[in-house]
Amino acid sequence: MSHLLAFALCLAGFAALAFAVHRQQRDIFGRSLPLATTWVLRVLGACALLLALGVLVAWHGWSLGLVMFSGHTSLVSGIVYCMLVGYSRIRPRALPRSAPR
Amino acid sequence: MNSDNDQRVAGRGIRQTMSSLHTWTGLLLGWILYAMFLTGTVSYFKDELSQWMRPELARLSEIPDQAVVAQRIADEFGKTLAGASQWSMRLPDARNNSVYAFWRTSARSPGQRGFGEAYFDPATGGKVTSRETLGGDFFYRFHFQFHYMPVVWGRWIAGAAAMFMLVAIVSGVITHKKIFVDFFTFRWGRRQRSWLDAHNALAVFGLPFHLMITYTGLVTLMALYMPWGERVAFKTPAERQQLAAELSAFIPPGKPSGQNVPLASVEEMVRQAQERWGRDQVGRVNAVHPGDAAARVAVTRGDPGRVSMSPQYLEFEGATGKLLAVRENVGGAAETRGVFYALHLGRFSDTVTRWLYFLVSFMGTAMVGTGLVMWTVKRRQQLPDPDRPYFGFRLVERLNIAGIAGLSVAMTAFLWGNRLLPHPLEGRAELEIHLFFIVWALTLLHALARPARSAWVEQLWAASVLLSLLPVLNAMTTQRPLWHSLAEGDWIFAGMDIMCWALAWLHAALAMRTARQSAVSPSRSKANRRAPVTVASSEGAG
Amino acid sequence: MNARIQRVRSTGPLVSRIVAALFGGYALAALSSVAVLALPLSKPQAVLTGMLASFAIYTAAVVWVFAVRNALKAWAGLTIVAAALLPLAWSVS
Repeated sequence: MSHLLAFALCLAGFAALAFAVHRQQRDIFGRSLPLATTWVLRVLGACALLLALGVLVAWHGWSLGLVMFSGHTSLVSGIVYCMLVGYSRIRPRALPRSAPR
Repeated sequence: MNSDNDQRVAGRGIRQTMSSLHTWTGLLLGWILYAMFLTGTVSYFKDELSQWMRPELARLSEIPDQAVVAQRIADEFGKTLAGASQWSMRLPDARNNSVYAFWRTSARSPGQRGFGEAYFDPATGGKVTSRETLGGDFFYRFHFQFHYMPVVWGRWIAGAAAMFMLVAIVSGVITHKKIFVDFFTFRWGRRQRSWLDAHNALAVFGLPFHLMITYTGLVTLMALYMPWGERVAFKTPAERQQLAAELSAFIPPGKPSGQNVPLASVEEMVRQAQERWGRDQVGRVNAVHPGDAAARVAVTRGDPGRVSMSPQYLEFEGATGKLLAVRENVGGAAETRGVFYALHLGRFSDTVTRWLYFLVSFMGTAMVGTGLVMWTVKRRQQLPDPDRPYFGFRLVERLNIAGIAGLSVAMTAFLWGNRLLPHPLEGRAELEIHLFFIVWALTLLHALARPARSAWVEQLWAASVLLSLLPVLNAMTTQRPLWHSLAEGDWIFAGMDIMCWALAWLHAALAMRTARQSAVSPSRSKANRRAPVTVASSEGAG
Repeated sequence: MNARIQRVRSTGPLVSRIVAALFGGYALAALSSVAVLALPLSKPQAVLTGMLASFAIYTAAVVWVFAVRNALKAWAGLTIVAAALLPLAWSVS
């Protein structure tokens, strides 16, 4: 149960952090988001990650909690990365990519 | 980003130097590292793998009372191992359905063997009659001491590889300081870039794990690698014992009295440990001079639930069952070592954490693999004559095929051997291992004989086919096919079957991707020499 | 051709650096694991501390050897640290 919650929080956190990157904003929304929104995303993302750590530590204690947190963040960052890569492949880019084959 | 072209340029900056250091430390022992990483990764499920490889041994639907089992096995020892100077048993737990035990007999006659080990059935106390196999322990032992060589040599090689890995990690981080800033700006780009991107991504996501696993790996064998402090500090055996007591449940080997006194109730001793740590939390029971008036018994705490392998145990007087000592604390440095050790083995994990360990470690394996492949991908662009590469290039290319794709084939062949070799058969366990190495050697021959791309594709397909048919073979040769294990809720067997298919799919996907790339490669390599930039940028869509 | 001469000339220092990294680094790590015994810790703890830290020291030494501008400087760095550790190691042996 705590694993599921931590996993979801990490996923939300990393997704928010990814959306706070200008390059991803251009790829996904076609434009840069306002600076304020970017900052909100950054803070939200960091908070979600901290909350995930809090959940795991509260449930399992510091030693196990830290190990689990490290595992979840490693896995989730990989997942978010793959999702971004997959998304950019499915959706044609706003900018012309390069010379056609 | 980094490139090795700069090698010849004098007065290079630190990032170039570190880049070269990263490239070469990564490459030189890269195949050993890859094999250590992959076999180490599957070792997170070594107990489950061992259960799968001993299908005759029934699944434990619930953990038996450890105190009762301990007494049962101790009684068995009392009958069959009367002359043992020491025995040690690992009690069944959530992941082990058998009791592993080893013993030493004081060699009274020259021909007598001094050491023995066996698996026991917790329900009957007798030796298990399953097929003879090393089980998951083969991969586990291979990942730090290899095979066909003295154990110490293997461990030194593993240590050297781990040290190279540590240097490769640190120099890699220095080279790519910006990876943390670029965390989410990686792009799946051109072909050469895409390998680099995958390598970088895998490295960054798992960085805490990679650093941890490499350093803690060295720590597990540090007394072998760095014995100098110990040698200088300790002059007497008594002092050395002081250190040993910090590292394991150590009973000082006193002299037997020569007076026969049967062991007091082991069940009672384990019962006391259960009251202290919890019902299924007892790990081992060790006895020194059992059956003698001077016998000592140590009941140690199991690994689950605590991120430390530091010894925690109760010491009893064997003849009376009196509690002599409770030991639950070690010094600061010893505890640090205990935590490092536990972090490496991950035995404290619940199921989810074990899977996290497995997946992140798998990412680490992929990181080493992509790094190895990248070495050739980068250099292929710069070959003076792509049809006849220089020797070093060909060597790395072929070793990559056998080291990466061939290892998958060999590891799966090991599991096939477990199901196909007859039972009983003299030296069966050793034959399974020979089979692993024979198949691995064959993949190397195949990689040398075939064109590189075809060799990749064929070996990846071979691994995929072997993996996908393993559940079928299991259904045909054991009483525990997938439908049966699903109905029974036997997640070890069901999980094994499903994992085989998942890995088969992964290998098939890699094979198809490689085949697709090789289909377009000839025109590409020609165009490449003409106009590298346009071609390189058009590859991204593929 | 020029690159080739350059390469031959750079081989010597490179070999020297590799030796410094492999053996000099190990020697330094080993020395430090003995020098740690001079710390006010109980013997078993000091021994374990030395072992635990030695791999970090080895790694740092290797990175140092390849990071500095020339091979001479690499050796000099190792020697200076070793000279500092030697009296400590001497005092406990």
